[in-house]
Amino acid sequence: MGHPDLNWVGRELNRKEDLRLTTGKGQYFGDIKLQGALHLVFVRSSRAHALIKRIDTAAAKAMAGVFAVVTGAELKDKLKSLPIPVVVPALPARYPTFWPLAVGKVKFHGEPVAAVVAKDCYIAEDAAEAIEIEYEDLPYVAGPEEAMKPGAPILHPGWDDNKIFELGFTGGATPESVAQNETEVDRLIREAPVAIKRRFKVHRTGVTPMEPRGAMANWDPSDGMTCWVTTQRPHIDRLALAEILDIPTNQMRVIAPRDQGGGFGVKAPFYREPILVAFMAKHLGRPVRWQETREEHLMCVSQERDQIHDLEVAANKDGKIIAVRDRGLGDVGDGCEGVYWGFLMPFLGSALLPNGYDLPRCDIKLKCYVTNKSALSPARSFGSFATRFAMERMVDLVARAVDKEPADVRRLNLFTQLPYTTATGVYLDSGDFLKVFDTLTAKIDLKKFRQEQADARSKGRYLGVGFGVGAELSGVASAVLVPMENQPGFGAATVRIDPRGNVQIFEGDAPLGQGHETTFAQVAASELGIEPEHITVTTGDTGTTPFGSGTIGARGGSYTVSAVANACRHLKTKMAKILAHDLKLDASPADFDFASGMVTYRKEPSKQKSFRSLAERIIMAPLNLPAGETAGLEYTAFFEAEVPMICFSAHACVVEVMAQTGQFKILRYVTAEDVGKMINPAIVEGQVQGGVVQGLSNTMFEEFVYDDNGQQLTSTFESYKMATAADVPHVEVTDACTPCPHTPLGTRGLGEGIPGPVPGALTNAVCDALTPFNVDIIELPLRPNRIWQAIREAQSAKRAS
Amino acid sequence: MQQSVSVEINGIRYDEQVPIRMLLVDFLRDTVGLTGTHVGCTFEGVCGACTVHLDGEAVKSCMMLAVQANGRAITTIEGLAPKGELHALQKAFTARHALQCGFCTAGILMNAAEFLKENPDPTDDEIRHALVGNLCRCTGYSHIVEAIRDAAVEMRK
Repeated sequence: MGHPDLNWVGRELNRKEDLRLTTGKGQYFGDIKLQGALHLVFVRSSRAHALIKRIDTAAAKAMAGVFAVVTGAELKDKLKSLPIPVVVPALPARYPTFWPLAVGKVKFHGEPVAAVVAKDCYIAEDAAEAIEIEYEDLPYVAGPEEAMKPGAPILHPGWDDNKIFELGFTGGATPESVAQNETEVDRLIREAPVAIKRRFKVHRTGVTPMEPRGAMANWDPSDGMTCWVTTQRPHIDRLALAEILDIPTNQMRVIAPRDQGGGFGVKAPFYREPILVAFMAKHLGRPVRWQETREEHLMCVSQERDQIHDLEVAANKDGKIIAVRDRGLGDVGDGCEGVYWGFLMPFLGSALLPNGYDLPRCDIKLKCYVTNKSALSPARSFGSFATRFAMERMVDLVARAVDKEPADVRRLNLFTQLPYTTATGVYLDSGDFLKVFDTLTAKIDLKKFRQEQADARSKGRYLGVGFGVGAELSGVASAVLVPMENQPGFGAATVRIDPRGNVQIFEGDAPLGQGHETTFAQVAASELGIEPEHITVTTGDTGTTPFGSGTIGARGGSYTVSAVANACRHLKTKMAKILAHDLKLDASPADFDFASGMVTYRKEPSKQKSFRSLAERIIMAPLNLPAGETAGLEYTAFFEAEVPMICFSAHACVVEVMAQTGQFKILRYVTAEDVGKMINPAIVEGQVQGGVVQGLSNTMFEEFVYDDNGQQLTSTFESYKMATAADVPHVEVTDACTPCPHTPLGTRGLGEGIPGPVPGALTNAVCDALTPFNVDIIELPLRPNRIWQAIREAQSAKRAS
Repeated sequence: MQQSVSVEINGIRYDEQVPIRMLLVDFLRDTVGLTGTHVGCTFEGVCGACTVHLDGEAVKSCMMLAVQANGRAITTIEGLAPKGELHALQKAFTARHALQCGFCTAGILMNAAEFLKENPDPTDDEIRHALVGNLCRCTGYSHIVEAIRDAAVEMRK
């Protein structure tokens, strides 16, 4: 097939997206308007847990400009409730029944109870204010520990308790093998020279994007329904909306806007709000749009983490961990959310707990409970932010117990032989973890730092270093995604070459800032030997793009880009065959090079034709084609690697802690990554910078707070504190790449897991700085008050002993 | 209740009748159709995505009513550079990969443009503190700081 001209892959090409985005010409959801569109506003519950006794909508209905007011009771019999199969995982769990609006009772502060459709949003807000709702309060279920108590109030009618999901991840398929594994782990922990147990708690926080959600729908009696939705998975939304609204799928089109203001997982679920928007558009025969406010957003979505882990490890005297026991507990909120149901994040978090460490004996179990909070929705470092924190803190505790350098204990425990399947069944396909970790420790010059630390300590200054690692998903293979989300994992791309030699790429996923237009163009340009400026990428429109399960789990750089490369290769074979035929050469397609806009017979380079004229000949003048060959240059490739794939990164954080106040300053934050073959190093660095800062912000600042009555207190950016530029450091990003053997270009997907190693690295650094005080922090958020308190507690414990 | 408002936006005068409670950001986006100015928070002035220039001063257009802009001149992201040209900041943001989703970008560019007029040779620390009124979720800010530094160098030439 010739050697692809790799000129464009690996280059810091400026992004194709940026001209429109820096000049105010982006087309985000809020910028797309339909003539005559009505505005929908939700009335949301002011209570955490209550029966709905009465809703009086008369005054709202009577207001000028109001087209409709609707409640759950009125809606209930007009459309299907969830769960429906397309957004239900193939995992044994209890899936609560729900409609777009609450029916009978409310289960969290912020749940949609009624909706107004009016001429504009100002009138709709006025009418929403005029709706009177009478509630009868029920006891608030504040967390999993309250939810599991015998006699606890039951959230979901018909359930006998509040447990939504429970799973053991280890020990095999039979009760006997599980019991045997439990016994063995127990024995190892009892007999090991080092055994440590801690209860790790990670608070409720997430990665709220700058653009809130939105949905707009238009019903046309001949074409059917068109919905514009802020979403990471338009094709799944299409299937789900069609089923709920009982519209044939050929009459359902979902369009993710070309530009979306970030997602990070938050726009991946199938949410209840777009259902009502589409329903009302059909019901009223008018376009209807809903633009979420920031307040709604912070009340109802972007909330992740929120796990407790009772983690125990057994280790040898050298620090090699020989057994792990974990009992996880997830607070998943009300669980009413398509695809994820609140528990899928803790599920994957527990599965990923072993990380990149060689932990042959694990006993890992998880229980998830529904509570009177909004359902957990995904956030980058999906589920594993909490388990990464717990495991990384534990590695440092082991190092302290055996009096060894934490970096050395990590090295001792990292996998050196890949591929490997972890005790929880996660397949680690390839890479060189030690190379990545050693690149990191060289970059921070660990030996020198330890000297500086000792010098500083002798002067009463407390410096510390902490580490964290992450073996993260690089795309989500069907083998993982079918059981987990009842969806395929393949990447898909259509490549269409036009008669002028220009190229269109169609992607069914919906990017939200990751730069797909640029990286896909770089790959296609390299494959086809043309310039990226001759390539255009269209995304997220189910009317024009091939099916894909969505922009999730670092699929872009692993699966979708591989489909782009394979589609290009298929078309090149066809073009080369036809050129050989035209030139009357007895040549195979592999004898042709595609470079610099020319297709050239390598053995006789004077025999060549421009890419453009060859494309024109095949499409516009399909005469005298080789036998069996057809006209046209368009191909859709579906890429599925033969095994699940990972990328790997290691983080180090250097801090100085003020022991008198607990305040700390991050002096350095350094990462090393294996992203395989890099397509665009600037975009890779951008992903790391952003992902690390999200992790820092989650660790130090962001926290969703519910008061004793379940009132959500953090629904504005005044109260939900996100990191600003002045709060965070520059991240020193280092590459330590090993090409992935399972993708056509050797690329790996990176992005999803980046925040994961952050809470461990930062907290370990703070604890390392405070080694003289023997401080042991096992709860997040990590704030000066907690550090100060930990110092005080350590001091009084020392005095007491 | 409606009131007339006369305002110059990016060099064009608009005379409009608007509800007195209409926010300036809605006026810019919905009445005038300049959608480059974004709304990222619930009109609390924290995210900074709606930042525009009011008589040359960076303001958050979600914190003002349209009628308060009567008789004033506004520049939005669409008017930051003369037609067909790019501002040094726009070029630097592209060159440094200082944006990902781009939702916060307009507000940051408008804020930075005013900042560099006041402080044409800032340190990284000064740039970071100048940005506290703008939230960005994607980039981690580092590339934004580099881009503003580069633009400052370019603008001093």
